[in-house]
Amino acid sequence: MKTITKTFAGNYQNLAAIGEFVVKIASDQGFSSKEVYAIQTAVDEACANIIDHAYKGEDLGEIKITITSFPDRIEIFIEDTGESFAPEEVPAPDITSPLEIRKERGLGVFFIRKLMDEATFDCSSEDCNTLTLVKFKRS
Amino acid sequence: MNFSINPLSHCDLIKISGRIDSYTAPKIQDALDSLIRKGQYNILVDMQDVSYLSSSGILVFLDAQRKLKGQGNGKMILTNLPPNIFSVFEIVGLENVFNCCEDVQSAEERFQK
Repeated sequence: MKTITKTFAGNYQNLAAIGEFVVKIASDQGFSSKEVYAIQTAVDEACANIIDHAYKGEDLGEIKITITSFPDRIEIFIEDTGESFAPEEVPAPDITSPLEIRKERGLGVFFIRKLMDEATFDCSSEDCNTLTLVKFKRS
Repeated sequence: MNFSINPLSHCDLIKISGRIDSYTAPKIQDALDSLIRKGQYNILVDMQDVSYLSSSGILVFLDAQRKLKGQGNGKMILTNLPPNIFSVFEIVGLENVFNCCEDVQSAEERFQK
């Protein structure tokens, strides 16, 4: 088991650095290219949501990411100190509806839930919001 | 992220490289909006060198597709989609939402029809 923590300023420009951080660890752990891409997408969507919804703007707080590698899975713990964000209140987007009437809000949370094996949001603490993402190795 | 725009016979080709995320998607949105404002209603997007596409990028393409559809015969085709990006399209059920084509040549042929 190996744990690495990194803290990033919450701005959109840092999403690329966050992506590189996650991709490197997931690749080194032996996840397939598709799995690494899925993990990268889930983390990117989570961090963009933190900037958009928890901090409601750029450079208003930090995003702390802790990644723990297990033989069979990767666990990614993402913390922010912004406003509580209740993802269960975000309706899943209806991507089957006609283009003219489709509402795409909630696409990020939808991606996170679809791409990871587990996604647990916890906004119960007064100090911070946390999201725990888990992806198991298929191969 | 970088992009270039080149006019072809029956469409405008926008070739994008690098990441399309919350930081860079607004630049693509501006480019697509500018084309549509100029009356270019057939847009071909070459995704071959796109390393990452987030939901914010997908929303930009959905928005452009909606605007082009509002212009009657307008159409946007995504071509050369990297396998990882197409895989996410399949997982989240977006594979039939966009007009996708294998390569630039076959996409151009679809604009001629």
